[in-house]
Amino acid sequence: MNAKRILSLMLMLGMLVAFGAGCAKKTADSMPAGATKVEISDKDTDWQKPAAPESRSLTEDEIRAQQRELAQRELGNMIFFAFDSFELTPESRNVLTSKAETLKKYSLFNIVIEGHCDERGTSEYNLALGERRAKASQQFLNQLGITNERMTIVSYGKERPLDPGHTEEAWSKNRRDEFKIQN
Amino acid sequence: MKLKIWILTLLLVLASGESVRAAETLSVDIFGPGQTRVNILVLPARGVGGQAASAVARSFGEYVQGDIGFLPFLRLAYLTEVLGGDPSKGLKSDEIDFKPLQLSRIDLVMTIGGSGANIEARVYETFTRKLLVGKAYSQVDQSGVPRVADRFCAQLMRVLTGKSGFFDSTLAFSKKVSGGKELFTASALGRDLHQVTHDGGFNVSPSWSKDGRQLAYTNISDLGHRLGIWDRGSRVSRLRRFPGNIAISPTFTPDGQIAISLSLNGHPDIYLLNSDFKASQPLAPSWAISVSPSFDLSGRKMVFCSGRLGGPQIFMLDRNSGAVNRVTYDGTYNTRPSLSPDGRFVVFARLTDGGHRIFIRDLVVNQERQITFGPGSDEDPSFDPDGYFVSFASSRNGGTKIYVTTRYGDPARLIPTGPGDAMAPAWGVATALD
Repeated sequence: MNAKRILSLMLMLGMLVAFGAGCAKKTADSMPAGATKVEISDKDTDWQKPAAPESRSLTEDEIRAQQRELAQRELGNMIFFAFDSFELTPESRNVLTSKAETLKKYSLFNIVIEGHCDERGTSEYNLALGERRAKASQQFLNQLGITNERMTIVSYGKERPLDPGHTEEAWSKNRRDEFKIQN
Repeated sequence: MKLKIWILTLLLVLASGESVRAAETLSVDIFGPGQTRVNILVLPARGVGGQAASAVARSFGEYVQGDIGFLPFLRLAYLTEVLGGDPSKGLKSDEIDFKPLQLSRIDLVMTIGGSGANIEARVYETFTRKLLVGKAYSQVDQSGVPRVADRFCAQLMRVLTGKSGFFDSTLAFSKKVSGGKELFTASALGRDLHQVTHDGGFNVSPSWSKDGRQLAYTNISDLGHRLGIWDRGSRVSRLRRFPGNIAISPTFTPDGQIAISLSLNGHPDIYLLNSDFKASQPLAPSWAISVSPSFDLSGRKMVFCSGRLGGPQIFMLDRNSGAVNRVTYDGTYNTRPSLSPDGRFVVFARLTDGGHRIFIRDLVVNQERQITFGPGSDEDPSFDPDGYFVSFASSRNGGTKIYVTTRYGDPARLIPTGPGDAMAPAWGVATALD
């Protein structure tokens, strides 16, 4: 995001330099608010110098953070289960297949697969069931080429419901696997 | 709470020659077929020498009556049931007119005397006029009254039934705190509430060692499942990771080992850990989920929950023969069993149309009976050390709280545990923390 913004600012600045102050005024007038104006006048004098170190820092931590965010967004889709079941539905398999692609694309990242259950089951059995649910996803992803070393399993049983309600609608949301970037 | 009282317990061998010989007097068989209920009348507290009773003595009387309310084999009678009102002029048998009590079918009568920080309490059997329990307590301050009342009632229960596990136990349970769950302990009446763990994450499934010195539990966090052991002596807990993804339902065996569900072979099986926390061969292994082991006092019988035949059901392992027998056949979802110390009864949670309910199965006569009735969900049943009371967690009044009933399904009583959801009660034979 930042890189794009800086790039567009650079282009705008280039235009300013080429057309001179008069043109700049004209451009500013045609823009919606004073914000653009302020930005231009602020960066006008020593634009090139601070821009360079910013783009260098992006190649390190920020790019990784960006990638992490993108990967998490792509992995954010949860998959859902029937009551007392850890069977993957065809829809879940599709979701997992795209997750496998994401994990191949972002090979730097490992994930935690969280298994969750609804409140209808009892606590200890649900902890075991949650593990089976997470494991079902892990095995499927493993078959698609993701090594088990990149996947950690945590079963929360019914301790962390997504929806605190007591209806089938809430329960069906809570019987799920969540996928989170670990590192 | 540090109580600064010295409880001097004195058997009052009274000048009139009364003797405490409970064996020859009234006793209550709490395990007999069909419970008998004994009527007990607690007379208003008296002062010494015609003076008004002290505040401590009056408070003691109120706490005793509250405690008696937890004992389904006793029924609190009211003074209005007695012809002519209070039939006593003093605290001792020669100052009590037992006839109106007998006419009103009052079986036991209790007198309470108090001056300053001293309390005297006596329970007489009205038909024989015999003293069943007589105790004196000195230097009791107001904050110590509940504990003194509990001690007296423990003695009364012991004399009447031969058991007192309810009063002598400490409950451990899991309680919601900000961002997770931690373990707390309290007496069976909810007194002396303490938070004992501060691990972060979710601490669930506490189990006491038989000597009451340790608690085993599961800690769940982003790091996965870990076995927690809290030590009463040092007040410190240690967390251990195991290979595989789980460490569910750790349970102490009577000889001090820990049985725990681990997935060492890719599926949850129950293992016994040695003193180095190494797992041996699984108990009653199968390809399916096995969790929630519970042992009898011999440690040779183990009930557990398993999905080996489809949905979760209760099974029993005979560790001598290795035989595994199915215990529950009705219902499609039976979980979280607790075996009575004598190995005869199993309580468990069954999913019904109205939510989970606690059922009890008599393994000798093969009969099953529902002992809790909601509403909401009743889960996590656990036998007390006598095999008479059953604690459980219920959402019957909104949030989840701990209740106690008996194996006969007596009306459930709330055990106060303060604000916040509380669940997974476990009985320990240790006395309350101070």
